[in-house]
Amino acid sequence: MPTPTSNPHASDRPTPDGLSRRSFLRSSAVVASGLAALAASLAPLRHLNDFPTVDQFLQKYYKELTPEEMKKVLARIEDEVEKQYGLRPHIRDLKPKSGVEFVYALNLTRCIGCRKCVHACVGENNQSRDPEVQYIRVVRLPHGSLDLEKAEHNYNPEQVPEKGYFYMPVQCQQCKNPPCVKVCPVHATWQEADGITVIDYNWCIGCRYCAAACPFWARHFNFSKPSIPKDRLNLDMAYLGNRPRRQGVMEKCHFCVQRTRVGRYPACVEVCPVGARKFGNILDPESEVSYILRTKRVFIQLKEELGTSPRFFYYFDV
Amino acid sequence: MKQAVRNYLVFLWRCGRLAFDGDWRYYTWMGVLSVFCLLGINAYAKQFAGGLGVTGMSDEVSWGVYIANFTFLVGVAAAAVMMVIPVYIYNNEELHDLVIFGELLAVAAILMCLAFVTVDLGRPDRFWHLIPGIGQFNFPASMLSWDVLVLNGYLLLNVHICGYLLYCRYRGQAPAKWFYIPFVFIAIVWAISIHTVTAFLYVGLGGRPFWNSAIVGPRFLASAFTAGPALIILAMQVVRRVTAYTPGDETERLHGTKGEGSQPPKSRAAALDDLELLVRHLAEMASVPKELRQTILAGAMVLDTKAGDVLLRQGATETETFFVLKGRVVVRREEGGRFRITRSLGPGEQFGEISALAGTPRTGTAIVEEPALILRLPAGSLRKLMTAPKMNKVIRSRMSERLLITDRALMTLRSIVQVSMLINVFLLVNEVFKEFYSGNLHVASAKYLYLGLHGHHALVPWIWTAIAFNLVAMVLLVLPVSRSLKWLNLTCVLCIVGIWIEKGMGLVIPGFIPTPLGQMVEYSPSLNEALVCFGIWAFGLLCYTIFLRMSVPILQGRLSKANEGQPELGVSGAGAR
Repeated sequence: MPTPTSNPHASDRPTPDGLSRRSFLRSSAVVASGLAALAASLAPLRHLNDFPTVDQFLQKYYKELTPEEMKKVLARIEDEVEKQYGLRPHIRDLKPKSGVEFVYALNLTRCIGCRKCVHACVGENNQSRDPEVQYIRVVRLPHGSLDLEKAEHNYNPEQVPEKGYFYMPVQCQQCKNPPCVKVCPVHATWQEADGITVIDYNWCIGCRYCAAACPFWARHFNFSKPSIPKDRLNLDMAYLGNRPRRQGVMEKCHFCVQRTRVGRYPACVEVCPVGARKFGNILDPESEVSYILRTKRVFIQLKEELGTSPRFFYYFDV
Repeated sequence: MKQAVRNYLVFLWRCGRLAFDGDWRYYTWMGVLSVFCLLGINAYAKQFAGGLGVTGMSDEVSWGVYIANFTFLVGVAAAAVMMVIPVYIYNNEELHDLVIFGELLAVAAILMCLAFVTVDLGRPDRFWHLIPGIGQFNFPASMLSWDVLVLNGYLLLNVHICGYLLYCRYRGQAPAKWFYIPFVFIAIVWAISIHTVTAFLYVGLGGRPFWNSAIVGPRFLASAFTAGPALIILAMQVVRRVTAYTPGDETERLHGTKGEGSQPPKSRAAALDDLELLVRHLAEMASVPKELRQTILAGAMVLDTKAGDVLLRQGATETETFFVLKGRVVVRREEGGRFRITRSLGPGEQFGEISALAGTPRTGTAIVEEPALILRLPAGSLRKLMTAPKMNKVIRSRMSERLLITDRALMTLRSIVQVSMLINVFLLVNEVFKEFYSGNLHVASAKYLYLGLHGHHALVPWIWTAIAFNLVAMVLLVLPVSRSLKWLNLTCVLCIVGIWIEKGMGLVIPGFIPTPLGQMVEYSPSLNEALVCFGIWAFGLLCYTIFLRMSVPILQGRLSKANEGQPELGVSGAGAR
């Protein structure tokens, strides 16, 4: 039986749906080369290093996880961290305690701008070293002005403090009326009962709207895959706290929930060499922060006019 | 039901086939766009693997050119209503055939918007967290959740309206008013809302004084109603141009070898039987009582024509109306030495009724394409015929079924652009005055934008280019010179580029500079980021080109249910291949 191609005219004869063999071959060639070009253009996906597993992809929202599910999730994340860093962390889901509302007070008279708090924070909270992510920014201001326009971020003298300047560390102000929580389209960030605003790193979609909304530049984004030296990993972790983050999610100061919810001080408070940082429960009238806010004549909430009502107070020793 | 689904699938199939059919210009254009799309996909694949670190964005400037483009394109999408309002609220006939093009532009723009927000996400794999009901939807607190709703809603509304109207035209049916008019009015309100919500995205942020200003919303609308119609003016001229042909190619086929000066077609007085013939293709005719039919016949003629016969000529001032009883007629329109098909008519359809009813000169030349039997009615007979309510309705609804794209329509759009640009510049002056005259601490971002701050001035040349473009465009729009299409085109390009800069880079970026802690960190997009943007623009243009490719022949009447199964000849107006 002769094949259709044996007849030179058969190739142009329209098939019932109006396509001739030649045009079919031509279309196939176009489609094939188009698919090849598409495949080639997708080639960079071979270097994909953070593709979610099925469990990661389908993980439920923090507030919807049952205790059993949470247990499984924590075990899974411990496995993930162990796989990546070779060390098994201990990750806890720490809940806020009732009757506790954390407040921070920072003594601007004492702060000498040594940035020890920044380093302690990076180590404690497993922040990425490359690219650098830091929760605390210490700025240098000329005497007599709180105008942040005049702030120097990259001061680098031989010795601190410098004459004629004072230093102001800024981190998440744990607002009572947090704009970042309001704008998040997926409830990935919220304020807990003890006043700490936290992030579910497994729920954040990375739109960075909260970063635009924050008046204190307190929210920081993982633009690339975070990297932490293996020997520097802090293995005492909390789900809403310092467990390693993934590429493409937001993070911020959470008052060291992995420490403060078990009765310890935040790392920055502990490390401060001049005792400028004070932290405690404002609902406890005997606490240090209650005493400070009761007795100091002047204390400052940064950008008070915006009405976000920070739980972070700056004060002076006079 | 089964038949209806089959019909619809055939419609989609034929439209889909068209997207892959065209002349060499079409293939070249689509080829270039496809290459840019692939480059964009490649760049996005790199970003997907390596994270947003491959962009120029940083913790300090955490939104960049993606969100800038998104903001601009929401405006373009919203501006589609500026075509809809005159037509549906003020019954402007000139813009009638542009409504669908405006809405298709809105669809393409929204697709681009969705692409731009998707590429901006740090974790696109978690998009489902945003789906109401499945994820966690922070509604109504988050303006972004509003944006998700209004953008997708607007997309659906426009797809429905365009899709339904085009399908009705394809089937030769009058669209059911209840099935689209309510949506048209919802879409008008919705269009305002998509842009207002997008403005509120910025306005609602108290920590960013540059954005936290009530004038941003009105400015967004004014600039949108400038750039959107300007884009449509340009697009419509491209449609006019590429669907036109110069004398020499297709005219020959239409005119036949005999030319236009051949002997007039054979004609005879019309009889009641001829009206019966019309009833077969025009069911509404059945409602006309016998006495009325009798009176119509006075002066009515039936013409027996062959291909190439000219039935009426553009510019002539006669008042007869024609009904096709058999065969096929095309109406073409001459513009500056080029011809363009505005309608293609089969049995049961009429032409020449506008001149008959309004007494205006003929808007095109009607030429017989396939040997045809034509009923010719004097103007008086048409008026009598239209005393039958059903006939009145069908004739009136078909009056708008043509693809004229008249210069008058473009001039109507020009006056929209004109007024919007004046308001836009006025609002800009307001903003600049408020920022600089009071001179408080919040002026830092504006200072950085317009003058540079602390030795940083990356945006200064951009914003002054934008202001210069806007001002020149405004002056041109006010002067009569922009009534000439050449100048109007230049003006539109200036408007679009000026507003793109002003509203994209000029609004999004300075909001982040200096940071809330007073740090000066500048932003410029990386090459990879730029390629993603070009890719998305190419994708949008590709979509819009395909939409036009499908809708133009449908609006011309050259792709219709009536010619199903026939070879798709001459559907591409430019005489494919």
